[in-house]
Amino acid sequence: MKKIFILALSGVVLLASCKKDKEEETPTSGSEYTLIKKDTTANDLVVELLSKTTTLEIGYSNLFVRVKDFAGNIVDDATVGFMPMMDMGNMQHSSPVEQPEYNPTSKLYEGMVVFTMHSGQGDWELTVMVDGDSVAFPVNVLDSKAGTKYVGSYSGYGANSADKYIVTLVKPFNWKVGMNDFSIMVHKKQTMMDFPAVEDLTIVMDPQMTSMGHGSPNNISPSNAGEGYYNGKVNYTMSGDWRLNFDLIDEGDTIVSGAYIDILF
Amino acid sequence: MKNSHLVSSSINTDEMKKSIIICAFLLGGSLAFAQEDTLSNEQNYKEIIIQGQQKKNKDQTAEQLQVSTDKLLSTTPGITLIKRGNFALEPTIRGLSAGQITTTIDGMQMFGACTDRMDPISSYIEPTNLEKIQLSTAPNGDQTGSSVGGGINFSLMKAEINAPKSISGKVGAGYQTNANNIQTFGTFQYSTKRWALLVNGIYRKADNYYAANRREILFSQFEKWNAGANLRIALNERNTLSLDYIQDEGYDIGYPALTMDVGFAKAYISAVTHNYTHRSNRLRSVETKFYFNYVDHAMDDTKRPAEMISMHMDMPGTSRTFGMFSKAKYLLSRKHILNVQVNAYQNDLHAEMTMYPDVGSEMFMLTIPDGQRRTAGLNLTDTWLVNSKTRISFGGRAEMNFSDITTDIGEQTLTSFYNGSAAQTRFSGNVFAQATYKMSKNMSLFGGVNYAQRPPSLQEIYGFYLFNRVDNHDYIGNPDIENEASINGNLGLDLKYEQWAVSVEGFVNSFSNYITGIVLPSYSNMTGGADGVKQFDNIDRALLTGGEFTIKWNPISALSISSVNSFTYGVDETGGYLPYIPPFKSVNSIQYHLSTWHFKLEHVGAMAQNNVSTERYGENPTPAFNLLNFGVQKHFSFKNQRALHAEIGVENIFDTPYYEHLDVMEIQRQGLNFVIRTTFVF
Repeated sequence: MKKIFILALSGVVLLASCKKDKEEETPTSGSEYTLIKKDTTANDLVVELLSKTTTLEIGYSNLFVRVKDFAGNIVDDATVGFMPMMDMGNMQHSSPVEQPEYNPTSKLYEGMVVFTMHSGQGDWELTVMVDGDSVAFPVNVLDSKAGTKYVGSYSGYGANSADKYIVTLVKPFNWKVGMNDFSIMVHKKQTMMDFPAVEDLTIVMDPQMTSMGHGSPNNISPSNAGEGYYNGKVNYTMSGDWRLNFDLIDEGDTIVSGAYIDILF
Repeated sequence: MKNSHLVSSSINTDEMKKSIIICAFLLGGSLAFAQEDTLSNEQNYKEIIIQGQQKKNKDQTAEQLQVSTDKLLSTTPGITLIKRGNFALEPTIRGLSAGQITTTIDGMQMFGACTDRMDPISSYIEPTNLEKIQLSTAPNGDQTGSSVGGGINFSLMKAEINAPKSISGKVGAGYQTNANNIQTFGTFQYSTKRWALLVNGIYRKADNYYAANRREILFSQFEKWNAGANLRIALNERNTLSLDYIQDEGYDIGYPALTMDVGFAKAYISAVTHNYTHRSNRLRSVETKFYFNYVDHAMDDTKRPAEMISMHMDMPGTSRTFGMFSKAKYLLSRKHILNVQVNAYQNDLHAEMTMYPDVGSEMFMLTIPDGQRRTAGLNLTDTWLVNSKTRISFGGRAEMNFSDITTDIGEQTLTSFYNGSAAQTRFSGNVFAQATYKMSKNMSLFGGVNYAQRPPSLQEIYGFYLFNRVDNHDYIGNPDIENEASINGNLGLDLKYEQWAVSVEGFVNSFSNYITGIVLPSYSNMTGGADGVKQFDNIDRALLTGGEFTIKWNPISALSISSVNSFTYGVDETGGYLPYIPPFKSVNSIQYHLSTWHFKLEHVGAMAQNNVSTERYGENPTPAFNLLNFGVQKHFSFKNQRALHAEIGVENIFDTPYYEHLDVMEIQRQGLNFVIRTTFVF
């Protein structure tokens, strides 16, 4: 009887200690960001490129920069800039960006790059400029999973056929059946190196389940939210592959017809 | 109830066929109330007795046990069946169906699991399970749910304690040539002074059937078995305990009128019942039942040729119901009998669809997004024996319904078409009064009024792209839908003389907030080839009216001529005709009884139904038809009450091509068919 009691007691202790170990193993901070690349500028600043995802994927990518001085102190007053560059061999081009700004809470410079292509189509290099110096990170951008398309480049419609627009799905998203809030961005390809955000467009959205040939009701087409962002609601009546079709209208003129984003969940 | 089939001695009940039995009940009811100590039924309450002690015509049982439940229902005035295949026909009462009527098994609530209404609960019950089928065309105190159109209760056969024979039973088999249809069944009872056990089983299998001119109706096959058991234990003189279990499994069931068949349809039905009876106490009886049932249903399109289906789909569904009721009969005075019932149940529905396109990834959705309903209700009925001529039965039901969605994915699905909360509470119920006035020995007048409300079904609240083949639309639920309400009046007259009897009854059912589908133009259909999407919604008004007329004539005691006629007329708020309304239908028979032989010639006919709203409800006119059936029965009696019943019949003698108005997709019904059945009783 006594033996059993001791055995039971030790079991409880063992269980308790196991539990404690586990709790300790779970890191509470730092895991949110993955270090993508790290380098030191000519002016001795350590520049770390971070992401909330473990790998970089085509499309809208929030990117974070941590700047430290040589002693390891956070630098919070640097001027940080992104310059992405796609080298396709015969040509080079950049892509839409949001220049990083310092966030005192995360102690990171937070910015965004739209990777319009994946590394299978050429080589991406992201130049991070810090206070006039710069480091160049070759980055590997993966394609999104088969059946999805999170960014597209579209020629202008009709009289605007010389123009090019980039339509990008804003990440992250967590699709579920039913009504989903979501955002897209629209940029114009001004030059190979300049992709300004396009504001004040009217967007008409039509989600379709292409393999079944039906749409869904009660969608709210994305509307202008400033700085190239458009917020809307999309209704997925079932899981599967959805295509969100967009027409972009500027003051009554359709400037892009047939832009689309492909979703699979 | 027990004496409700009481008939005059001039009518030899042994000779009656089932349509006549119904007529007899109509007549019997008027006499029964004279029996002070019984709670006999209203005139608008009918029973088809299949077996058991109440059954007077034992010869008929042999046939009834082998025909399908659908067949038994189809010859009842007021009931018409919606047909989607050669199996699982869905009953309608006077133009009302599904959530508008209550369909119960021994008072137990049970709900089909199929989103396309392939499995009305009558498909999970076989005549071998049943003592009788009870039809009411208006609310009454026995119902365990709210309805605007009465209901059907399948009363289960109970083992008989202290039966004359300790071991008794029936075994039988039958064959029908048309669909190569076989059925074989057995029921066995072991009875002692303290307890009795009844077990029954039936197996049915049919190939495709043939319409007139030997036109094969593809995908009309089915196979099923059903087994039931009832154990009754007499705890003491006044208390008995009863355990019921039924398992029913169907496989490979074709639905020629639909785009998919059924891989399997299974039901598990269980109940435990306590009965208290005291024949000289004021508290005359108390019946309390706890029950659980589960339906597992899976549609199947793999048997269909590839060109018929756009893509492969799996559409399984489940329905789980548990609940209880307790009802008591209390004699308030010599003139007042009070019936009180409390009941509660919970039903959980889940239906999903997974689609597998040739190109692209598989798609998944919930078509009934895990809806749940909890219902609690109270019924009160007073039967007032005013004087020797007049009886009035009045009462009501109050019911509370809580509906909700129980899973996250279900809640998310609802956001597709509804912004508000899934959870909702409703109140519904009815008040009713029915009176019978016996004007003379041969004549009685009966009538009543009631006001009833029913809550929308879970499908009508939460349904998500439920395809209706009749109007070729996908249906979406509507959480804001109002209760459907109706004011119903009925009036009838019974005449009964030595050699003939007539019963005529008319009804008017005036609806407000009638529930139907309203086109949602902005929605696109999910089902390929559908014409659009409708949402369940209320229309202001609808009116159903009609009646039944039965006549029976016995010019000589061996000969019986009868005619059962029903008619329903229904219009919506615009004056357009409502769907699922049967035209005038008439079943007429001549029966001749010669010693152990019994001959029956039957005519079944319906007039054309041209009262259709093709635009709004998708129905087309249906032509009239007339059929003739003929049957001969021979009974052999042996020692110790053993008997053999043999029957040969021809159905649709002239191989007439026809379909009925409620047959989905106008699929032709069975042509010429030869039937042979034998049953041995011991």
